[in-house]
This record gives sequence, structure tokens and C-alpha cells, in this order.
Amino acid sequence: MLPKYNVLTQEQVEIIHNESIKILEEIGMDFEYEPAIEIFKAQGLKVEGNRVYFTREFIEGKVKLAPSEFTLHARNPEHNLVCGGDNIIYMPGYGAPFIQLADGSRRKSTMEDYDNIVKLAGASKNLHMTGGTVAEPQDIPDEIRHLKMIYSSIKNSDKCFMGSAEGRERAQDSVEMAALLFGGKDVIKEKPVLISLINSLTPLKFDERMLGALMAYAEAGQAVVVASLVMAGSTGPAALVGTLALQNAEVLAGISLAQSINPGTPVVYGSTSALSDMRNGSLSIGSPECALFISASAQIARFYGIPSRSGGGLNDAKIVDAQAGYESMMTLMAASVTGINFVLHTAGILQYFMAISYEKFMMDDEMAGMLLHYMKGFNFDEDGLAYEAIASVGPGGHFLTQKHTRRNHKKEFRTPQLSDRSAYEAWSREGLDTNQRAHKQWQEVLAKYVPPVLDESIDQKLLEFIAKRS
Amino acid sequence: MSEEIFAGLKQAIIDGDEDVVEELSQQVIEESINPVDAVQVGLIKGIEVVGELWKAGEVFLPDVMMSAEAMKVGLGLLEPEIAKLGMSEGDSKGKIVLGTVEGDIHDIGKNITGAMFTAAGYKVFDIGTDIKAEDFVLKAQEVGADIIGASALLTTTMSAQKQIIDYLKEKNLRDQFKVFIGGGPTSQAYADEIGADGWAESADEAVTLADRILAK
Repeated sequence: MLPKYNVLTQEQVEIIHNESIKILEEIGMDFEYEPAIEIFKAQGLKVEGNRVYFTREFIEGKVKLAPSEFTLHARNPEHNLVCGGDNIIYMPGYGAPFIQLADGSRRKSTMEDYDNIVKLAGASKNLHMTGGTVAEPQDIPDEIRHLKMIYSSIKNSDKCFMGSAEGRERAQDSVEMAALLFGGKDVIKEKPVLISLINSLTPLKFDERMLGALMAYAEAGQAVVVASLVMAGSTGPAALVGTLALQNAEVLAGISLAQSINPGTPVVYGSTSALSDMRNGSLSIGSPECALFISASAQIARFYGIPSRSGGGLNDAKIVDAQAGYESMMTLMAASVTGINFVLHTAGILQYFMAISYEKFMMDDEMAGMLLHYMKGFNFDEDGLAYEAIASVGPGGHFLTQKHTRRNHKKEFRTPQLSDRSAYEAWSREGLDTNQRAHKQWQEVLAKYVPPVLDESIDQKLLEFIAKRS
Repeated sequence: MSEEIFAGLKQAIIDGDEDVVEELSQQVIEESINPVDAVQVGLIKGIEVVGELWKAGEVFLPDVMMSAEAMKVGLGLLEPEIAKLGMSEGDSKGKIVLGTVEGDIHDIGKNITGAMFTAAGYKVFDIGTDIKAEDFVLKAQEVGADIIGASALLTTTMSAQKQIIDYLKEKNLRDQFKVFIGGGPTSQAYADEIGADGWAESADEAVTLADRILAK
């Protein structure tokens, strides 16, 4: 395993921490949810209306309560995931309202897209879990969308998945459904099975929807990613360090709430901070500044001893083109090599989170595979040094007929799934670019995929629950 | 003397310097200089320059936003004076009531749109976030708006854009206002589906669209 690299000095991390504490002490943060305000009051913090003024002792004390790593349990225990340490978890994109098609057109995403992407993630060798809101199913009424999504995540794969963050009630529904699957709320309170995405409303606010969900999950002992997306230049300052300090203040405040509700609640330090394009204000996530935010966030989370979430195959491209590729590799690689643990948006994202593309999904899946291989680093045992092979070939000659070669290349080399390494003439017979190859590939994967069997009585209970709640 | 002040106002708008705009606008009032001219020859000329510079790629969004803010300060001082004197402010290109729909509190896109409309010579009435359909309509009636602009960032709040159109229909007011919608998850197809008059993906496209629709 390659060591994770740092982009800040220890002193710089401490400066950011102290700036965040100053923001939380002197400016404070707004929590637009009375039950959250009550908790902070009970903890003895100064509160004026919705504004909470934190103290250094409170924040630092609460952050210490968060576990440095935790296990997320899957329907199939082989897919259990450890979040934290040197581990990395890849998964599909989250929350996109559109599907970008291979022919260049765009349409609203549907429940069928959601099912398909869960299946593709289920089939993937490189994606560790199936994520959540992998496509926003706009053909399903808003009130029951979360129920249908959770059901699809359970039914179509046995990997870990995410719960709804759309307010307290939908979070509770997610917990109920997970409890039906895993054998009760007591069971999952001991062994977390859900993780959910709680976002601040930058600058310096949390809204009712997110706080309600955060509280429901913390009470049920389920994991939450507390994330901030500062758009430097618009919802945050046009300064990288100031943006990190602002993001950090928001995330620490959210984590302190989760730890106040239920000490030891598994939390993940989340960042999606990026830029506002200064020409038109739009979000830009495929930028070098975003890669710096990702890298710094991994390190800041390490400073607190909390698992981190950031990065992904992030880009601002409109279609699966070269921009989509080079921007995504920069951000996914930054996340991977700096030690981000939970990589939401690994696969499928286009158009700064606005669209998911099946073709981009396959391309990102390939990149995830490349990076998993890259991070393995070097093998220094006898096979890795390969002295015997070098000696037996000697000067001149070649290694292609060495037993060592035949055996060891399978261990040390990765075979691409999507990239084309054939010679020009061979390639030109079909002449397919990456987008076209990926288009064929995802359909083949989907056609072959058989979802793991779900126990019939559990399936029945889940369907009854959905019917009751619809 | 007046010419100098008008030139100063124009430059202060270009610079996005609301302090200077405030100072010079006060001077216009104290020295009984024609406030309509101060608006037309000073403020509006300045914001026109900013709009052109932005189109040419020579200034950036923060420049436009600050100029629009400075414009707001100037108009806030001079408009009451114009009304007091019983004068007419002269024609704006159009009036737009802007807000983020009920249940949604995201406002950065709406704010940018407001600045772009201001820079293009429209009168903008920004009524904030989490706004009910009836409040959009009330404000539009109050100011005699041409356009109601409704923003939504969440797939779950897009339906509130439709509610504005339904509300207008219910009150027999649908032909009184053009309804524009915008925001991340919205699209032309959605605008067509709910019967909105306009949709644009970005703030400057929204202005272009308004120019075209109001010219009809």
C-alpha cells in the first residue's frame, strides 16, 4: 500500500483548525431546527435565536468522541466495509436529476435508471458499495421516492447502501427498512448498516431537513457523513485557506451535534468544496482548486482522527469526452492518494453533479480499478525483485518465455476493462471511442447481472412497509 | 456641475463603489439636481457599461454583482425623490419579481440572475427565499411586474414553480405576467410541461430570453 501524501504541514492544519474555532466562537452558526437548538442549549452553549456560539472546549471534546473507524455492515457480510484508516470505499454518484445519454442528449432520470445503476455498482469489481440516490427517480412521487430507492438498493445488490437525508421522517423510514432487513433496530444500533449524507447550507447554516435526518440517524446509531460544499468565491471567500476554515467550522459543528445526541456515533468528515466560476457563477468541481480542497480535507480529517469523505470522478464536462476524463482522473486520484476513505461520486458524474451517465460510469469504474491497483504500490518479495528471472535471461534475450513472467504478471499487472490497447489497424476496424465502447459495455454488464437472492419473507415485509407508508 | 456628478455616478457604478454612489446621490438630493437625469445619465449609463464589459469577458461576476448592489443603493435614494417631485423615472426595460420557491432556501443562482437583470437595465424586485406562490403574485401585482422569476434547486421543490402558474390560472391572472423558471434540476422540457413562459439555464440567457419575450 502506498503511503498517503500530505499537502499541508502540521502547523498549517493547526492554523486552519484555529481559524475554524474562531469562526464558531465569534460568528457562530445558524441551526434552523428547534430540537437541535435545544440540544445545544442543554450542553450549555450560548444561543441567540437560531444562532449557536460554540466554544473550543466543546468542539474539541465532542470531536474526540467520534470513532476513528467503524464497520458498515452489508446484507452479504463479504461486502462489509471498514470506513477509516487506510481503507478506501468507492461508490456511484449521488443526487443527479438528469441522465446524459451516449448520443449527446439529456433526459430526466427515472426509477429504472436508479435500478440499473445499483445493478452496475453491484456488478462492479471496483466499487465497494452501491451508494444512495444514484439517480433521482423523477417519475416517482416525491413522498415515496425514498422508500422505492431504499427497496431497490436492498433488492438489487447485497453491498452497503445509503439512507435518505430528506428530513427526520424519511430518515426514520430508512432506519425501519434497514431494521427489517437486518433483524431489528437493536441489531443495527450495535452494527451500523446505513450511512447518510448530511450537508450544511454554506455559509454557516444547517437547515431543518438535514438536521432532522442527522438526529434520526444519530439516535439510531447509524453513520452520517457531515459535509460542507463551499463554493469559493460565492458561498465562501475567494481564498483556499479561508474556504477550508469555513468548511471545517461547518463540519465540526455538525459532528459535535451528532456526538451530543449519541456519543460515539460513527461520523465521516465530508467536503465537496469547490469553486464558483467567476464568469457565470456556476459550480466548478473539475478544477485544480477542488483537487486541493479534497487533498487538504483528507489531511484535516486525519488530524481529528475521523474518516473522511471527498472527491470522486468530478468534472464539469457536458458529455463523456476528454475533459470528463482528465478532470475526473485528477479529482479521483487526489482523493485516493491523499487518503480519503469514503469516495461518494466515484462513478457516473458529469456536469458538476447535474447528470449521471452510464458511459461515464463505466469509464470511472475503469479509473477506480486503475487507482486501486496504483495504490497497492510495489511488491518487494522475491517475485517482486525477480533476480532469478533477470539472471536466467542475462544480457540480450527476452522475458516472455520465463515461467516467472507467466506467473507473476497476473499478480503485478492489471488488465484494463475498458481502455483499448490494441494496435491502430485492429482498433480501426470498429473505430469505437471510449464513449461508444462504454455504451456497449454497460448494456452487456446489465444483461448478465443476476441480483443476489433476497429472503422472501424479508422481501414481503419490506413491501408491506412501503405499502403502509405510501 | 450636474454633468460632473452624473459622470461620477456612472463611474462609481462601473467601479461597484456603493459609498461613492451614496455620497453623490445625496448630493443630487441636497443640491436639487434633476434626479431623473441622475438615474438616466448616471446610474443607468454606468450599469450599461458593466453589462457590456461582462459580455466582452473583460469583467467578472463579482464586478457585475457589486455594480448591481451599488445601483440598488443609488435607486433606493433617488427613486423616493423622483416620486416626491411627481416626476417619472423614465422607462426601464421591464420589471421582474424574483424569488426562490416555497420550501427552498438556495439563493445564489437567484442573486446572480437578479444582478444580471439589473445590469441589463431591468428593475428587479428580489423577494428572497422560501416564497409562497401567492406572495410572488402579490408582489408582482403591487409593482406591476412584467415577469415573475421563480428559482428552485431541489427536485423536491420544483413542483412549487408549477404552483405559481396554477395559482395565477386560478385567480384569472395568467395573462398578466410572464413566468420564468430556473435552477439546477429544471429544464426546457419541464418549463413546457408546467406551462411556464420561459426557462434559461444561466442568468445571462435568462436576460436574453426576457429581451426577446418582452419585445414581442
